[in-house]
Amino acid sequence: MGSPPHIAVIGGGSTGAGIARDLSMRGLDVTLVEQGNLTHGTTGRMHGLLHSGGRYAVSDRASARECIEENRVLREIATHCVEMTGGLFVKRPEDDEEYFQEKLRGCRTCGIPAEVVSGAEARAMEPHLAKDVEKAISVPDGAVDPFRLVVANAASAIEHGARIETHSTVRDVLIEEDEVIGLEVEHASGAGERVHGKEGGREEIRADYVVNATGAWAGRIGEMAGVDIEVRPSKGVMTIMNVRQVDTVINRCRPKGDADIVVPHETTAILGTTDEEVEDPEEYPEERWEVDMMIETLSELVPMLEDARTIRSFWGVRPLYEPPEVGSTDPTDITRDYFLLDHAERDDLEGMTSIVGGKFTTYRMMGEEISDHVCSQFGIDAECHTAEIPLPGSEDFTVLRDYMDEFGLRSPIGRRSVERLGSRADEVLNTSDPNPTVCTCEGVTRAEIQDAIAGSGSDLNAVRIRTRASMGNCQGGFCCHRLAGELHGEYDESTARAAWDGLLEERWKGQRHALWGEQLSQAALNYALQATTQNRDRDPADGDPVDFSAFDGGVGADGGSGTAGVATDGGPRDGD
Amino acid sequence: MAIESEVLVVGGGLAGLTSALAAAREGADVRLVSYKQSSLRHASGLVDLLGYTSDGEGPIVDPYAAMPGLPDDHPYRTVGVETVREAMALFDNVTDYRGDHTDANALVPTHGGTIKPTARYPAGAAAGLASDDRNVLLVGIESMTDFDAPQAAAHLEAAGVPFDVRGETIRFPGDLRADAKVTRYAKLLDANGEVAVRGRTRGARDALAERVNTVHGNEQRVGFPAVLGDQRTDAVRGALEDRIGTDVFEVPMGPPSLPGLRLEEALFEALEESGASVETGNPVVDFDAEGGEIETVYIEKNGALIPNRADQYVLATGGLVGKGIESDRDSVREPVFDCHVAHADDRYEWFDGDAFGDHPFAQFGVETDETLRPLAADGRVEFENLRAAGSVLGGYDFAAEKSGSGVSIATGYVAGNTAATEVR
Amino acid sequence: MSDTEPQTDFDPIEPNTGREFEPVDVFPATEEFDLRPGADSCFKCSACDTSCPVAEVDDDFPGPKFQGPEQWRLKRREGHEIDDSVMSCSNCMRCDDACPSGVPLSQMHNTARGEYVEEQMSKTSVEYWRNRVLSNYRTSAFLASKVPRLANVTMNFGPARWLMEKTMGVTAEREFPAFASTTFREWWAERGGADESRRRARAHRERRGLDRDADKRVAYFHGCYSNYNTTEVGKAMVRVYERYGYEVVAPEQKCSGTPMFANGMLADARRHAEVNVSSMADLVEQGYDAIASCTSCSMALRQEYPELFDIDGIETVAANTFESIEYLRIHEDLKADVREARVSGDLAREFAYHAPCHARNQGLERQSVELFGDLEGAGIEDVGDSCSGISGTYGWKEEKYETSMAIGEEMFDHMAAADGEVGMTECPTCAMQMEHGTGYEIRHPLELLEEALVENPRSEP
Repeated sequence: MGSPPHIAVIGGGSTGAGIARDLSMRGLDVTLVEQGNLTHGTTGRMHGLLHSGGRYAVSDRASARECIEENRVLREIATHCVEMTGGLFVKRPEDDEEYFQEKLRGCRTCGIPAEVVSGAEARAMEPHLAKDVEKAISVPDGAVDPFRLVVANAASAIEHGARIETHSTVRDVLIEEDEVIGLEVEHASGAGERVHGKEGGREEIRADYVVNATGAWAGRIGEMAGVDIEVRPSKGVMTIMNVRQVDTVINRCRPKGDADIVVPHETTAILGTTDEEVEDPEEYPEERWEVDMMIETLSELVPMLEDARTIRSFWGVRPLYEPPEVGSTDPTDITRDYFLLDHAERDDLEGMTSIVGGKFTTYRMMGEEISDHVCSQFGIDAECHTAEIPLPGSEDFTVLRDYMDEFGLRSPIGRRSVERLGSRADEVLNTSDPNPTVCTCEGVTRAEIQDAIAGSGSDLNAVRIRTRASMGNCQGGFCCHRLAGELHGEYDESTARAAWDGLLEERWKGQRHALWGEQLSQAALNYALQATTQNRDRDPADGDPVDFSAFDGGVGADGGSGTAGVATDGGPRDGD
Repeated sequence: MAIESEVLVVGGGLAGLTSALAAAREGADVRLVSYKQSSLRHASGLVDLLGYTSDGEGPIVDPYAAMPGLPDDHPYRTVGVETVREAMALFDNVTDYRGDHTDANALVPTHGGTIKPTARYPAGAAAGLASDDRNVLLVGIESMTDFDAPQAAAHLEAAGVPFDVRGETIRFPGDLRADAKVTRYAKLLDANGEVAVRGRTRGARDALAERVNTVHGNEQRVGFPAVLGDQRTDAVRGALEDRIGTDVFEVPMGPPSLPGLRLEEALFEALEESGASVETGNPVVDFDAEGGEIETVYIEKNGALIPNRADQYVLATGGLVGKGIESDRDSVREPVFDCHVAHADDRYEWFDGDAFGDHPFAQFGVETDETLRPLAADGRVEFENLRAAGSVLGGYDFAAEKSGSGVSIATGYVAGNTAATEVR
Repeated sequence: MSDTEPQTDFDPIEPNTGREFEPVDVFPATEEFDLRPGADSCFKCSACDTSCPVAEVDDDFPGPKFQGPEQWRLKRREGHEIDDSVMSCSNCMRCDDACPSGVPLSQMHNTARGEYVEEQMSKTSVEYWRNRVLSNYRTSAFLASKVPRLANVTMNFGPARWLMEKTMGVTAEREFPAFASTTFREWWAERGGADESRRRARAHRERRGLDRDADKRVAYFHGCYSNYNTTEVGKAMVRVYERYGYEVVAPEQKCSGTPMFANGMLADARRHAEVNVSSMADLVEQGYDAIASCTSCSMALRQEYPELFDIDGIETVAANTFESIEYLRIHEDLKADVREARVSGDLAREFAYHAPCHARNQGLERQSVELFGDLEGAGIEDVGDSCSGISGTYGWKEEKYETSMAIGEEMFDHMAAADGEVGMTECPTCAMQMEHGTGYEIRHPLELLEEALVENPRSEP
């Protein structure tokens, strides 16, 4: 038997990571390249909903069925990424009764467990729901951490021999005689660009087959390969609340519309969203009205949102696709289904398939289908096991018990940490060294940070998505410098300093959309800490040389303060 | 009847304390009311005057010389350079701070490993100046994540300091829990409490010095994170200097900040000695005004409004950090007297796109006339008998300029003095 | 209501509508006390941590920032345990006084502690029962007051105390306070109760040239300690108030609940609070203001009740409750009267004054020092802003005794350095600690005020 075929997967989102895991588990040789961090694209910019399928139960029943199927799978294989919050489709007095009934029928038709609860029952579950909510349908929606899920998929792929390259941008798709034979990739380098996998320079990655799993960016790869892929990127805003106002996913039960969902996510609640087609998946306006609309419209469901603190907003771009002949004008009409575009069939270009459309909840199913397709290209008959074998971290969940005594952590910190690490908790947290909390908002300890650094290199944003450090209410104000300190040692000071700046800027980007009230005060305090106390805005280490001799050198002739050997009596400083 | 005084200062931070002190020293009957702990506890405890110009030029060697070049509406321009000097003299008089021997700024290393220009520094930071060419050992505590000594040392080197600097991390003697607060370290060293080291019990100061001695080479000065005592900081530092045999200094850090805490305590003591009355814990929530003058302010206690009356008032409630300036999605306001605060209508114009950009929010605050009376939108004086001091003032970016403490002291001094003069 | 007083425009019933300062306002009334939204106010400045007297001596206690907003934010509504360190919080409430952002810290601690005791502490543990006995001081005191002499001897009897420490974890280091032979209420009843007080108040009004029927009426919340132990404080309150023409009533009352909050016994506290609120609410309706001489009692009525319980009339009672000297300072020209007065005899002393943490929280920490600063014949010196460390029942627990004394050390040092050899404070348990740490006799400011204005009425009109 010869060596297995080498497959290059482009895109480090949920789809790409899922494909890399699937193919490598089937014994293929896989290289995944991602231009940023894992989850850099759409995956890292979603609301974290694990669909029950209820949202599609009226408009798109095929998607709804896939969702509930995959919802059940992920609860089993990704236990440490999923929180089964349950979900409600709530009906306000002005919402259409007919649609409510249709939603209920749709759920039942698609095999989604759905019960009608009264307004009072709904408020008993969620006390902050509006008083005039009439009734609701309860469904098995959940919350999922996309970062953790993708990192676990990548980790599993690596365990099965895959190579994962982040901060590696595809510069060209290599084609010989109408067949894709590989990629030209540029790996980022320098202190400003973080190190993971291969550092610096261009590389030609030869591949027997290429999978384009770049979602909203698929058209760009298509261009390099000379094929036309009409992805229709559609942006949506998500606004992150500082705390969870609800512990259940709250959906508005009406046909379609903006600002109709609140997802409890880890320590926060995420409000979503809008649906607006954009030209470019990277350059699009992020606008005030979108944030205001989230708060105002969703306050109709959860009134306390009106005055609650938001810590940031972010936008994601859906990689929507529809066959050109459909021609929907409104992006909300475009199907959420996914499409496998075999460029051999479609464009007479051998050796490459693109996968477009689809949604996060069904990432594994998409991975399975495209892996089947890739295997069939090589006549390989290997079964898919991604639905049965748990992801790293989700193998054994008994560790959740007794976590506190074992790791000597304060109860909620130990609990959160173990929830994030899953079955890896023991390996990560069992340390005899002092294990102080580095990020106090999210309860992330040094041991977890160090584990993340070992896994992701010197990019503090990669550490962030693994641990949630800096994702709490101070938005990194109090921990960016601590994280830089954690990096130092393994990496030199200039790398640590650059990573510190990188994290600060990234945190600032989203926080700008939350700058009023408490978060503006927080930003002002962060600014005072970083600029006033730490002088990081005018850091002499980053700027021109300083003439030290011109400044105060102290009172003594030798420049010393001459305080050595004074009062050691231990008496009170002042005579009160 | 109301609780009465001649001058009522609202706010207990650096500006409020300075103005109360200035007014009391002028012989006025002064009352200071402060809602909660001030931002002194967050700040480094260093007293900056002016480290950079409004255009970001610097570090400035002589802050006084640079003040006339500031924009017209800058608080330093309002009060004038000579007044700043007088105010600093008052500060020097009531504290044990260093740096008054020269007009030049000092460059002080802080906990991120950067150096920053400042005008006054606590005695405990004196041996750490970056213009001193003696070699430095920085000592970090393993479980104290705010100060990574090796990183700070490397960072100082990157800034080109004129000395060799090395960082070492040690474990604090006595196995304090990893999340022990800075006050815990300080208290243990204050009391020279007993700690167990390999089965032997000994004083915390000795035990700490001994740990340091195992990593100390030939450096002439040793820097610690700012946890060297609270009440007896001179004694703690002295004991360490004795046993290590070098000068010892603290690297300012925070929040929370022990140097800030100590400064706050020193200023409150000076204020109490001056005879002013003080009440903390409850907010001023309302006021009566008549004929353009404030007559009475109301302090809220669990639903009851307690009237306080004075002839002259000083508003020193702080900025966005101290909550003397508040905002919502649509507007920015000064919540106590509802003084005018200029701001763009669109909140997306309140900030810059870069984390360290030129942020309009950093300059939010009230505008005043030349005697520090807040001005309404139409340029008229809001109240004849109200003056504003400190971060509640607009027109300067204290973080970028490193001018926060100096503006608070200078404007507090002017507001307090003027108020006292008015009641005479 | 006192707003009928001619010389004042003060209207204590004025509701504080639309203000953002009241942290409880942001929480809708839910049964389960979801305080996570309270974490919205926290911007991590750590002022609370620097104010915590426990965290600075005990690193097992992670400080109020963790204990409050951080723990609540990390908490899920269900299935999340409260960290057991919440039991190390002494409920001094200094963190409330520190927080510049209005985080409801003590409410978070009290609620978490209640949840911990309810759900995680074994109801058969010695600790649980010891804490219940300590927090139900009123019951013990009630029994002891029936046989005060016997109680005074046996409660401090060596072998009995040894046994209490060994079996219940009540430290043998402390002496139980002495019980008065006649309780305040017995004295009050014997004296003629409210009728007699009205008579005296009227006489004083006439002497002061006030309307004989002026609406000056207060309801005295004496608390357990003034009733069973330091009855002279209660008597001083009555005499001083009558001197200013106030009629005093002493309505039915139970323990304020302070020791129960500190021990997470919220159900016990609620039962007592219901009685207190109901009897005070009726009187407040009729125009009385509620006056407490113990700063922890006034704290409970003003802040903890409305934060923790949803009882009819609770907000009105809270808004009309005052500490005894605070009230006079607002309504009378107390400062001038004291400036005119002179004391001699037993109380012509130098006092080392300690401001209780709960007084600090009500903005009263400088009140006594500023008031008595001008009093002829006596001197008063503030011994600084440290916590006494006893925090009610906290210092009585064997396992907390050392922490309690370590916290108190700064205060003991400052007391020793002060000129006076007599201590002064408003809080009965701070007084115990002051006495325990220094051996000084400890007096209440009301006693000095009585001496100045009633016993030596130089300024009497």
